[in-house]
Amino acid sequence: MRALLLRLEPIIWLLFGAGILVGTLLLPGYLLTVALGAPLHLLPDGALSFERAHMLGSSLVGRVVLLALIALPLWKGAHHTRALAVDTLGHHSDGLVGSLLYAVAAIGSVLGIVAILSI
Amino acid sequence: MASDGGESKLRTFVVTRFDPDKDQVPKTQSYQVPCRPDWKVLDALNFIKDEIDPTLSHRWSCRMAVCGSCGMNVDGEPKLTCKTSLADYGDTVEIAPLANFPIIRDLVIEMDGFMEKFKAVKPWIIAAKEKAAEEGTYEQSPEQLAAFKQFSMCINCMLCYAACPVVSKEPDFLGPAAIALGHRYNMDSRDEGASERNAVFRGDGTVFHCSYANECSEVCPKNVDPAAAVNQAKLNAVIDWATSFVVKRSR
Amino acid sequence: MARPADPHAMQPSRPGRTRTAPPQVPDDFWTRPRMRTYLLFDATGIVYLLVGLVALRVAWALRDGKAAWDALLASFAHPAYLAFHGLALVCALFVGVRFFRLFPKAQPAHIGPAKPPPRPVLHAMLYAAWIGITLVLLAILGGVWPK
Repeated sequence: MRALLLRLEPIIWLLFGAGILVGTLLLPGYLLTVALGAPLHLLPDGALSFERAHMLGSSLVGRVVLLALIALPLWKGAHHTRALAVDTLGHHSDGLVGSLLYAVAAIGSVLGIVAILSI
Repeated sequence: MASDGGESKLRTFVVTRFDPDKDQVPKTQSYQVPCRPDWKVLDALNFIKDEIDPTLSHRWSCRMAVCGSCGMNVDGEPKLTCKTSLADYGDTVEIAPLANFPIIRDLVIEMDGFMEKFKAVKPWIIAAKEKAAEEGTYEQSPEQLAAFKQFSMCINCMLCYAACPVVSKEPDFLGPAAIALGHRYNMDSRDEGASERNAVFRGDGTVFHCSYANECSEVCPKNVDPAAAVNQAKLNAVIDWATSFVVKRSR
Repeated sequence: MARPADPHAMQPSRPGRTRTAPPQVPDDFWTRPRMRTYLLFDATGIVYLLVGLVALRVAWALRDGKAAWDALLASFAHPAYLAFHGLALVCALFVGVRFFRLFPKAQPAHIGPAKPPPRPVLHAMLYAAWIGITLVLLAILGGVWPK
C-alpha cells in the first residue's frame, strides 16, 4: 500500500495543496454564514432560505464553490491527519492509515460531485 | 585555568555517555565546570575533556561555525556548540548527541546514514556534454545565482536532521540537507540533471514525506532555509512528473 | 532525559564497525512549543475532514429539497454543531495564518521563465484574497446580493 501511495504522491500533494490554499480561503465566509450565521438567526430574513440557497447552489459558480467546500477540506484533512498519524504512531501503519484517509477523501469528493450535479 | 579576567561561574553539565564496549544503553554523567562568562558550550566540553574526564568523546574542529562538526543537542535543542553561548543557559545544562542519529560513543553520532542520503541526490553538476575548455567558462548571471545560492551555504552540520519530526519517524526520508542540496543543483543554470534528481525526490526517500514543520529552518545556523528548498522541490517534482507524460525524455 | 526515535532513523544501509546505541530524541521533543504548534497544525486535518463531510451534508440537503434544508439548518443550531463550526473557524484562521506565512518561501525562484512576486508581495496578496473572498461570500450568502 505504501508503494501505491508513493506513486500517487504527486496527485495527492496537488489535491492537498489546492485544499489548504483554496479551502482555507473559502472556509471563513462559508462558516460565518451557513454554519453559524443562519442557525443563530444573524442573517437577514430569507438570506439562506431554501429558495435562495437552491438558486445559488444550482448556478454553475455555486456548484463549483460547493464542491470546493466539500472536496478541498477533505484532501487537506486527509493529508494532515496522515502526517499526524506518522508523527504519533510511526511509519509502519502509514500504508493502511494513509490509504484509509485518502479513500475517505476520494469517496467524499465523488459523493460531492454526485450531490452538486443533482441540485 | 579560569582565573584570568571575568568571574567564573560554576555550572553543572549533564552529559550523555555511551561506551559501546561497556554500556548497553546511553546514560548521563554530571560534571561541575567553572565557566568563564564568554564561554561557549564547546569550551566547557573541552574543559571537561582536558581537566576532568579525558574519556569524554565529542566532535569539533573549526570552533567558528563553518565546519559543521560540533552539532549536539543542548537543553533539547540542536546547536553548534562552538557558537552557543553559555550566558544564554542556566546553572544546569544538558548535552546530548544529535537527536535521531545512532550513537557511536558519548556525543559522537553515526554519520554514514546521512552520507548515503546525501549521495543519493547526486550533488554534482550533471550535464549532457561537458563544455570544452576552449569554449570558455560557463556564464551565470547574478539572478541565476540567486535562484540557488542560499541553498549552497549548507555546512552539513545535520542540526536539521536532529530537529525534523519526520526524520525521527520515517527512516527512508532523504531529509532536509540532502533535499536542499539536490534542489540547489536542480536550480543551478549549469545543471541538466533535474529529471534524474526529481526521480530520486519521488522515490522511497520522497520529498513528499516532509510535512512542513519548518523545524529544520528554525535550527539551521547558516540560514540555508532547507524547509524552503524541500517545499520548492515538491512543486518542481510535481511539475517534472506531470510533464513526463507529455515530453519523452532522451535520458 | 531522552526517549527513543524510530530505531532505524538515520541508520546506514550497512552496519558500521562499532555497535551503536539506537537514535534518541529529547524527552520534550514532541512537547516543545514550536513542535506543539506544528502538531496542532496537523491536527486541524481532523477538523477539516469533518468540515468537508458536513459540507457534503449541506449539498445533499440542497438536493433533497426544502424540508431537508430546513432540518439541516435547524440541526446546525444544536450546541454541538455550533461548537464544532466555531472550532472549525478557529482552525481555518490558524491554518491560514501559518500557511500564508510559509507559502511564499515554498515558491521556486522560477519555473521556466515564470517568476513569483517578491515574498512580501505574495504574502500580502494571499491576505487580500482571503479578506476579499470572505467579504464576497458574506455578501452573497448573507443575502446582500443577489437579492
